[in-house]
Amino acid sequence: MKGKKKTMTQNDDEGAPSPSEKLPSPVVSDYDSESDSDYEVAPRNTIGDVPLKWYEDEPHIGYDIKGKKIKKKEKQDKLDSFLANVDDSKNWRKIYDEYNDETIELTKDEIKLVRRLLKNRAPHPDFDPYQDYVDWFKWDDAKHPLSNAPEPKRRFIPSKWEAKKVVKYVRAIRNGYNPFDKPKEEDGPYLLWGDDSGSTEKANYLSYIPAPKQKLPGHDESYNPPLEYIPTQEEINAYQLMFEEDRPKFIPKRFTSMRSIPAYENAMKDCFERCLDLYLCPRVRKKRLNIDPESLKPKLPSRKELKPYPITCYIEYKGHEDAVTSISVEASGQWMASGSSDGTVRIWEVETGRCLKRWEVGEAVNCVAWNPLPDIHILAVCVGQDVLLLNTCLGDEEEQKCIKELLWVDSTIASDDSGNKAPSVSWLKDDKHMGLRLRHFKTVTALEWHRKGDYFSTSFELLIHQLSKKLTQKLPFKLHGLAVRSTFHPSRSIFFVCTKQSVRVYDLLKTKIIKKLDTGLREASSIAVHPGGDNLIVGSKEGKMCWFDMDLSSKPYKILKCHPKDINNVIFHRSYPLFASCSDDCTAYVFHGMVYSDLNQNPLIVPLEILRGHTSSNGRGILDCKFHPRQPWLFTAGADKLIKLYCH
Amino acid sequence: MSMGDESGEGSSRRLQVRFVTKLDAPFKVPAAAIAIPADLARFGLSSLVNALLQSNNADFEPEPFDFLIDGEFVRMSLEQFLLAKGISAERILEIEYIRAVAPRKEEDPSLHDDWVSAVDGSSSRFFLTGCYDGLGRVWKGAGICTHILDGHSDALTSVCIINPEGMETVTVATASKDRTLRLWKLNIEEPVNHPMRVRAYKILRGHKSSVQTVAAQTSGEMVCSASWDCTINLWQTNDFPAEDDLVSKKRKVGGQVEESLVEGEAFTTLVGHTQCVSSVVWPQREFIYSASWDHSIRKWDVETGKNLTDIFCGKALNCLDIGGEASALIAAGGSDPVLRIWDPRKPGTSAPVFQFASHTSWVSACKWHDSSLFHLLSASYDGKVMLWDLRTAWPLSVIESHTDKVLSADWWKSDSVISGGADSKLCISSEIPIVR
Repeated sequence: MKGKKKTMTQNDDEGAPSPSEKLPSPVVSDYDSESDSDYEVAPRNTIGDVPLKWYEDEPHIGYDIKGKKIKKKEKQDKLDSFLANVDDSKNWRKIYDEYNDETIELTKDEIKLVRRLLKNRAPHPDFDPYQDYVDWFKWDDAKHPLSNAPEPKRRFIPSKWEAKKVVKYVRAIRNGYNPFDKPKEEDGPYLLWGDDSGSTEKANYLSYIPAPKQKLPGHDESYNPPLEYIPTQEEINAYQLMFEEDRPKFIPKRFTSMRSIPAYENAMKDCFERCLDLYLCPRVRKKRLNIDPESLKPKLPSRKELKPYPITCYIEYKGHEDAVTSISVEASGQWMASGSSDGTVRIWEVETGRCLKRWEVGEAVNCVAWNPLPDIHILAVCVGQDVLLLNTCLGDEEEQKCIKELLWVDSTIASDDSGNKAPSVSWLKDDKHMGLRLRHFKTVTALEWHRKGDYFSTSFELLIHQLSKKLTQKLPFKLHGLAVRSTFHPSRSIFFVCTKQSVRVYDLLKTKIIKKLDTGLREASSIAVHPGGDNLIVGSKEGKMCWFDMDLSSKPYKILKCHPKDINNVIFHRSYPLFASCSDDCTAYVFHGMVYSDLNQNPLIVPLEILRGHTSSNGRGILDCKFHPRQPWLFTAGADKLIKLYCH
Repeated sequence: MSMGDESGEGSSRRLQVRFVTKLDAPFKVPAAAIAIPADLARFGLSSLVNALLQSNNADFEPEPFDFLIDGEFVRMSLEQFLLAKGISAERILEIEYIRAVAPRKEEDPSLHDDWVSAVDGSSSRFFLTGCYDGLGRVWKGAGICTHILDGHSDALTSVCIINPEGMETVTVATASKDRTLRLWKLNIEEPVNHPMRVRAYKILRGHKSSVQTVAAQTSGEMVCSASWDCTINLWQTNDFPAEDDLVSKKRKVGGQVEESLVEGEAFTTLVGHTQCVSSVVWPQREFIYSASWDHSIRKWDVETGKNLTDIFCGKALNCLDIGGEASALIAAGGSDPVLRIWDPRKPGTSAPVFQFASHTSWVSACKWHDSSLFHLLSASYDGKVMLWDLRTAWPLSVIESHTDKVLSADWWKSDSVISGGADSKLCISSEIPIVR
């Protein structure tokens, strides 16, 4: 055994220089290598590669080369073999070869080789895995190239495809689209299965609109729905009382088994309706604008910056027994006059709410108006067909003397004056009220004073009266429609006449029409001129209010629609940038209306406050509103017999 | 101190307090510190002090008290108060108590024929009212009318007692909507059974519009009046006609020969306001303060007639009074429910130092108490008269004796409030304990 091993190692030594020589396999295949390399020392056993199990029970382990049986060696006693192992120091090198039934002792070199293999190194110690590459082929002096084909033509002419691409880019750039600036599309998360809308994006040349979806059946449409879905008999009876449209289409019923379900009687009808749905469905994509409605609102200053303006009611003027139709505040702001449907005119102290004077005029009062001059305390009152000019007995002796002179009329002069023409108005003395009475032929609904306190105009029949000469003039213009209201320009000799649909502006000195403003309203009810004179507001019976900038256009600059019911009066404040409207819906609106001296800047209109507090009576709400001449306060006269003062 | 152990158990925390007072004998409690529950408020404290007083003195009648800690009124529970003010609860808390400033007695209203527009209670012997029927009335007490000042042809707007403590005769001034002021001399002391009609001794003409208010100089030589014609006029009160403006004549009114009247003319007119001047006060010899509907309060120098300073408030003003600390604080009320108090000595700002806003309508009158630094009253169109203390933002008490607008109010005899209103009543709320 030993000798044989030695020869093997010698053989190994001889074959060492060749790296390609087969290296010994791991220990188990050692026999093969042995059988290959040590062909002169043939293995004793010749059974070949058969399972050794076959020979387990045999007395031999196989056959030798001559065909003789090789006897199994006697099995050593365990104890003996152990003792022998312990005694033998080289025992760890010994391996039992079951095939040949012998014990092999590994040499030192073999052990080394095994260890190298265990460390995953090349088995032979001299093997260099990283040796330099040697290029065995000589390239430089090769006479013939590998391919003998000539250079193709395409290498020498410019590419047509490239030219096409360039032209495409140039066109794109010319059209203002830079193809190189495309942001890189990043692969974001995407729906794995896609969704219904994706189908249209894919086929963008044909806008595909999916058919309307059908409602999926729920639990109630089951053949055996849970009890809570089944209506009681009362509910079913109640369905009969409902309108056909409101009635539920399907009444859940319960069946014990599938086979007891009857045929669906509406199948045909449902099918027809579905088809109808499909081909009557409007296949038009609705373009929805995605605009924030807040951004469409104009930017307005906050209400806090626009103070002062009337907010709360502090004083009520009680005493009238019927709706208060008209109010007027005296120029200094100390007194306020009111006319009511109960046939009385009252003067109130603004500060305390005390009724100072009271006149019985017999008929419902349409309008009251103070003379705008602070030292002429004359109150004009429209009652039916008459205009009464009342002396309010305020002011000192000199002023009273002046007023008495103004209100003095000689009956003879009056008759003379009206001699040549058909008298439209007669100026009469009114002894009962210590004043003047102007008798008209038509009902007088409104009265406006000129700023100098001498002239005043009355409507419907548009007349201008002069107090100092007791004269009445007709306007030398043709009116188109009935004059609802009229008013004087606050500083120039211009006269505004408001008819139901339009406002006409006349120059009184040149006696010609200057402008016609189209309100676009169905029925205007009131007009007010800004103290600057270039802007005016018109209130209408449909609740709309138009602001005209006369320099801008003959169309309204702004239309404010805030009242649901008739607007009864609109008014500007004399000094503060405020205007207000009052309506039959029992509210008064206060607005900030700033007019700039800079002609390029349009007027600023900001709604400020809704004043409530009046109650409705006979469908009428607030009948009149007037600003205090010097304070930012608003007086409102209601159909509920009250006058209220709203303070800042 | 015997109960010093902290037995704080949940809600019923206890505080150590000592009650102190400046009140006299029957209202004094022992000075020892006691422990009381911390959740007591004013009412609890008041009943506690009453119980303490009754334990000392069996026939002590219960009395409402008000409590001050470090000069501030207690208007919440003690616990909250200490928390809010950041006062330590460890040491012994000194609580000062005073008798609650509220009227104890409501006297019968004195009925007038018309709205009572003006009252003046600056004399302790009588008070004066002005009425919308054009008559001024002098009252010695509730319902005791001694004199009727007859002569104005329109409603009175303001009355003023010129020399309140005059010995024999007292001079008063009245302003009216008939654009005149009248001066009257009264003998207060003479006993009368029924109201005596008095005639004016001097009539002051010059205003172009209704006179809104009148105030007298402290010495009584001059009065100033303000009117709707935006001016303030100064007048002499002496009854002998001056040499230059001697206008003494017999006046014939309604066929009757009236007694001779001295007519006076204004010797100075202060012009500057742009709207109705609603209130003037003349607290010192040299200065006049005026409040107007043009939203300003102005201070005038009497000698030069110049406008010294003005405060703008943003609201139309109805009433004005000077008083309080060093007689320098300006209280004014107007066309909103807020009573504002300015300190003109505070530099660089024109913002009010106090704003009292418990009324619900216009403030029609405000008056400082003549001896207390803290107390003032305000009357409003909501029918209430409120008593205020600068040390708390809530009204000390609300007098609701009127059924309509209160047009005027004043202190009388330092412990009563007289007020007249649109219900034609003059109400006297008396026995208000205000410590001097």
